[in-house]
Amino acid sequence: MVELQNVSVTYSSGVDALNNVSLKINDGDFAFVVGQSGAGKSTMIKLLLKEIDATSGVVTVNGYNLGKLKKRKIPEFRRTLGFVFQDFRLIPSMTVYENIAFVLRVIDAPLKYIRKRVPYVISLVGLHSKTNSYPDELSGGEKQRVAIARALVNDPQLIIADEPTGNIDPELSYEIVELLKGINDQGTTILMVTHEHDLVRHFGGRIINITGGEIVFDEVISGVDEVLPEEELAQAMAEASAVTNTGNIILPDQQIITPDGAYAAPANDRNGGAE
Amino acid sequence: MKISGFKYLANQGIENIWKNKMMAFATFCVLLISLLLVGGSALFYFNMNSMILGLGNQNEIAVYLDPATGQDRVQKIQAEIENMQNVDGVEYISKEEAYLRMQNQIQQGKAIFDYIDGYEFMPDGFKVTVINTDSIEDTTAEIGRISEVQSASSSPQVAEFLRELRKVVSVIAIAVIIALAAVSMIMISNTTKASVFARREEIQIMKYVGATNAFIRTPFFVEGMVTGFFAGAGAFFITWAVYRAIFRILMEQGTLMRAFGVGSIIPFENIQIWVALAYLLVGALVGALGSVVSTRRHIDV
Repeated sequence: MVELQNVSVTYSSGVDALNNVSLKINDGDFAFVVGQSGAGKSTMIKLLLKEIDATSGVVTVNGYNLGKLKKRKIPEFRRTLGFVFQDFRLIPSMTVYENIAFVLRVIDAPLKYIRKRVPYVISLVGLHSKTNSYPDELSGGEKQRVAIARALVNDPQLIIADEPTGNIDPELSYEIVELLKGINDQGTTILMVTHEHDLVRHFGGRIINITGGEIVFDEVISGVDEVLPEEELAQAMAEASAVTNTGNIILPDQQIITPDGAYAAPANDRNGGAE
Repeated sequence: MKISGFKYLANQGIENIWKNKMMAFATFCVLLISLLLVGGSALFYFNMNSMILGLGNQNEIAVYLDPATGQDRVQKIQAEIENMQNVDGVEYISKEEAYLRMQNQIQQGKAIFDYIDGYEFMPDGFKVTVINTDSIEDTTAEIGRISEVQSASSSPQVAEFLRELRKVVSVIAIAVIIALAAVSMIMISNTTKASVFARREEIQIMKYVGATNAFIRTPFFVEGMVTGFFAGAGAFFITWAVYRAIFRILMEQGTLMRAFGVGSIIPFENIQIWVALAYLLVGALVGALGSVVSTRRHIDV
């Protein structure tokens, strides 16, 4: 579970990266965090990893109050979550197997368990044939699947993925998100930061839009395959019964069009809220 | 940490040496050169010291008695001198011994002795060693006051000069060694920093997956220690070869060099165990600490 209560972050340079943000992501949720560069997404991720501390407010992740977490307890906390980086961050001198096994070494897992668990997660991400390959021998998509397996091997409660599709061909991006969705179905909470709106529209789910250090949109939309063309968007605007202060256009039949043109039914209709 | 965990990390450390051959080699070279610089100057200092000490065994008072002194009186005087406060030992040198010594010293003029009949004209004497060379003059004067003593002499100026020389040499040598050690530390820390910097990503990844600092540092520690150990071994063999070569050359020099105390140079066999131990220990320690300290910058994420 992730909870931010009135969290603000001001860097020493005086930049307000996050401004009084409150947010709650329940166990088992899948949430997209979207927003432009410099909007505060990275700051939020750094907060959740306890790379930085909030200037004010309370950050709780997996039951740890990060503001009060002692330095020597950080490793223990980080073991409860998995992390997927945009640039994969695999260790080039280690094979796929070693890159993943290494996480279990860190937590001093028994060798027997490592030998069983690692091949299992490798098969989950469908890389069985690449077990002994080195990262340089893999494609971008494969590398990211290794990174996901690495995040998964520890059986974390929460996986944070920071632009996991950023360095991958668009067609393969869908596979990666499918994989994360599959992991989510097993009960792991997933927080995925992305700026690829196409992906978000396609998959739907909970969308959190951070702009200028504030959450401007936080709703559950269902996935759609298409985006309204410009003229239809303009027409919708004209027909709108209301426009929320976050820029969502609400049509008379309660359908919602997000500011970037995604078309979706209200969450409580289609998705039935949280599972 | 469990034993199996440590074994894994130690293996990682040794594997890392192989995987980062170039960086490990650079660290090895820097450590080797540093050890040679510091070790070489230390050995040079010890030998200077030993040479000066060899020259400076001047804590002796040469005592000559009136040649007419009878044997029982000689023994009494010996006892008297032995009882003096600052006297360490008294060696009796008989007329005969003194005569033979003189003969030996004047090798070239041996013919002179053909004209001399017997050794009764030689005085009995003592070689008196003192405990504290600082008051050697007082002791000399005290011996000189015994009526049968013809002469009692010591050379406090030489002793004084050599003492001063040793002080100066010590100060310079220690300063040089400290300076070299400091320069070496800077070189070593820069090299290990570069080696750790090349792997900062790896360290960051470890931090993100919840590795403790000990987990991250142990392989670096082992790696630095092994590299340092080999540098120590290398330094020892180089020192061994060079030292023996220099030793042989100096020993082949004539008596002239011996006058400067070259005879007191320490043979390598006498100190090799200590030199080896010092090189290996210092090498391993500096190597290990150097690489662990360098991780500090990257470990705080």
